[in-house]
Amino acid sequence: MTSGFGAMDRRTLLKLGGGAGLASVGLGALAGCGSSNSGGSGSKTINMLYFGQQSSATALQNALQPQITKLDKTATFKVTGINGTDWNDFIAKILTQIASGSTPDIVSVATEGLQLMASKDLVIPLDSYVTKDLSSLQSYFDDIHPALIESMMYQGHLWELPDSFNAGSLFYSTDLYNKAGLSEPSATWTMDDFHTNASKIAKVSNNINAFDWVVRLWGSWTSFLYANNGNLLEEGKYPGGDWLWKSAYKNNPTAAAGRAGGWKWGTPTANSAASIEALQYVIDLQKSGLSPSPDVGGGGTLQGLFASNRIGMTIGGGFWAGGLHNAGMKDGSFNVQMFPTWKSNKSLFGAGGYGIFKSSKNQDLAWEILKLMVQPESFDVIFPGNVTTPGRKSLMTAERYATTGPKNWQVFYDQLNGSVPISAPPYYNALATSLNQRTTQAISSGNAKAALDGMQSDFEKAAAGA
Amino acid sequence: MTTQPGVREASRATLPLASHRRPGVRREARKEGLFGYLMISLAVVFVAVFTLFPIIASLGLSLFKWDVISSPRFVGLANFQRLIHDGPTLHSFGVTVILAVGIVALQLSLGMFLAVLVNQRRSAWAKTTFRTVFYLPLLASTAAVSIFMGYMFDAKYGVINYYLSLVGLTKVPWLTTTWGSMISIILIVVWQQVGFTFVLFVAALTSVPSEVLEAASIDGASAVRTLFQVKIPLISPTILFATVVAMINALQLFDQPYIMTKGGPGTSTTTATIVMYQTGFQNLQFGYASTIAIVLLLIILAITGLQFLAARKLVFYQ
Repeated sequence: MTSGFGAMDRRTLLKLGGGAGLASVGLGALAGCGSSNSGGSGSKTINMLYFGQQSSATALQNALQPQITKLDKTATFKVTGINGTDWNDFIAKILTQIASGSTPDIVSVATEGLQLMASKDLVIPLDSYVTKDLSSLQSYFDDIHPALIESMMYQGHLWELPDSFNAGSLFYSTDLYNKAGLSEPSATWTMDDFHTNASKIAKVSNNINAFDWVVRLWGSWTSFLYANNGNLLEEGKYPGGDWLWKSAYKNNPTAAAGRAGGWKWGTPTANSAASIEALQYVIDLQKSGLSPSPDVGGGGTLQGLFASNRIGMTIGGGFWAGGLHNAGMKDGSFNVQMFPTWKSNKSLFGAGGYGIFKSSKNQDLAWEILKLMVQPESFDVIFPGNVTTPGRKSLMTAERYATTGPKNWQVFYDQLNGSVPISAPPYYNALATSLNQRTTQAISSGNAKAALDGMQSDFEKAAAGA
Repeated sequence: MTTQPGVREASRATLPLASHRRPGVRREARKEGLFGYLMISLAVVFVAVFTLFPIIASLGLSLFKWDVISSPRFVGLANFQRLIHDGPTLHSFGVTVILAVGIVALQLSLGMFLAVLVNQRRSAWAKTTFRTVFYLPLLASTAAVSIFMGYMFDAKYGVINYYLSLVGLTKVPWLTTTWGSMISIILIVVWQQVGFTFVLFVAALTSVPSEVLEAASIDGASAVRTLFQVKIPLISPTILFATVVAMINALQLFDQPYIMTKGGPGTSTTTATIVMYQTGFQNLQFGYASTIAIVLLLIILAITGLQFLAARKLVFYQ
């Protein structure tokens, strides 16, 4: 594909050594020059990229293969696990694979990467497939929260079938609450209650922190920002989407009310009064000794500290139920509650789902596999041990959380009401990089406004260049 | 084919013109030449494919705007013009140079200090033990070391602050303040790399002729004076080599700041290679990332050139 003077075919540049050029600067190991398209070779190997360990990917592959064989006897399902500290890392690695000319058929992407991949024309809209198979998918749409479906829409089209999510709720150590003489918080608790509880927990011991958090887009100081009725970007919605809402949700118009063609992230509002107040609040928590200096990305350290009862409260989603259980916490030693209300009860969530790569030569079969993966019985095969929250409400049962806890497991799904997906525009990667840098700058300097002015400028540049 | 060079050279010395006259000898020389080319061909191909070609390709890529996904567009020198006005990227070059200077200065001085101490030991067992101990960190994975050190330097829960508190010192915000994070990065890099410099210096000090040291001793030179006026000048070529290698490595610093601080707080430890990675693989601006790489390459060449210029006056070749 050549688009006039000065333009060159992407593949040609790769052949001329674009990838090798990066090698000279230490990036080449990541940017190969392969020309084979594993998913597009005409074979019936369906390749999927999965965020996690290869051992989990292989387990998923082996578990789904028999059902995929029923769909097509010649089809082989191959799942590649990609490690990363966060979605930013995962997306960067997917893009690296694309840079090398190797693209998968199916990709598992969370909210963070949806608009980026859709805007770059890497994945296909699923509209025609959904319309064609609406009757067989009706039970899915009846079961899954419409907010998750809407979060996977962009410019009026549906790009992924979601099957999981995590909303930012407030986890707390019941042991530290007891030691501090506190009663467990109610669903209607406020920021004042949160602060009072934090102050009392901090007095339990010098070796514990009342609250801890992680520098990232999901469930960071951003949870306080949302509760403060703010956002990093202006909230809006793309028109359209009626093709879905009026058909898939025709039996439940209330659920579809107000839904449109996906979230439209507008003008940056990173240095709004709400932002400054929210970021300054967490900085002041640290200054007053109620929280330590947070880590950037991931969350493994935080989970370890919480599991060892050194953290009183933190932001987490359904994924923490399995995470804390695996870290050795017993059911009853922790619990969860809705994020406290500040100026609003708005909270945030991120959804996970599956899309089909445009370059896939087996898109029809990939679609059949997508439908298979969002079946209720597939969920625990893909996510064993409560490592995320099921998007289908029928899977949210007391039995599911009987082993891991927490007692208030219903909060995970309830938190979705009134929540907004994390603001991940097509320039998400640049946004995430700036968010991390400017947040650590604010913590280091103690000056939220100066850092957020810088963040605003970064966002404006990134938005202009997107 | 002659396999003993000494014999061949001797025969040439006695019969200087014979090889031009005798076809058999010429053929033999040609064969030998071909064999020589064959022997170095692997290295030449390796350097060409993995060093020269990528540099040229990178230079070419720096003239394009390319997000990997869509078609690249030729933009001439626009990426270089952009770099001139790109404050954050220029700042990262400054951070890189500051960190590199700190790392090289501490690595060389500490390496020399340890080498001198060990060199004074007479016991071969002690020398071997110290060499092994100081060299061991170099064998560890940088990523693993960085993760581990991140925990050790943690302000609240880190073991370093724990021991500082035991002796009555206040906790240091190692990774959460501008200077704290820079100092932490320098210390960690030096801890891991000093073994290389140390081994070089120990070897060089061992090779200082004993008669020169004896002469200095007879002249009444103190140990310190002998070190600075005899030993260091004599091993200055090794010091130059160690400085150049350490500086080139330090200017390409990536792993430790990326893993431990993510380049923060703010951009205080964001090096040029981190910006290069973020620009290319996170922001999908591969042309501009290549531009940053080319400029970094030029900076490395310039600094290395300056080091060799300074060496003309400072390095003593026997």
